[in-house]
Amino acid sequence: MKKVWQKPTLEVLNI
Amino acid sequence: MSEPTISSKHLIVRGKENIVSDMGGEKVMLSVRNGRYYNLGEIGGKIWDNIEAPVSVDQVVDKLVSEYDVAQIKCKEEVVSFLELLLEEGLIHIEEVNP
Repeated sequence: MKKVWQKPTLEVLNI
Repeated sequence: MSEPTISSKHLIVRGKENIVSDMGGEKVMLSVRNGRYYNLGEIGGKIWDNIEAPVSVDQVVDKLVSEYDVAQIKCKEEVVSFLELLLEEGLIHIEEVNP
């Protein structure tokens, strides 16, 4: 069973 | 939309000046170079794990497609976009694959 794909994102944290 | 910088003829190479930690299944990173913190999320973290040694985009995509329910073309498009962001932030660099 393959895992659910989500678009990869890069979040720049606010610190 | 501009043409991507990263293509199949490039090797993806991790920057060395990053401290990485797993937090609740997501990958959080500190760039020692610019002092910024990043959250790569779950899939981004998986991509980061897969570029531990220099690899091509196609190798990264092949690995992800075998594990996740996603079409090859869509996966490659989204992985390249993500890697472009890492490149802009100086978290990775790219090298030409030897012909």
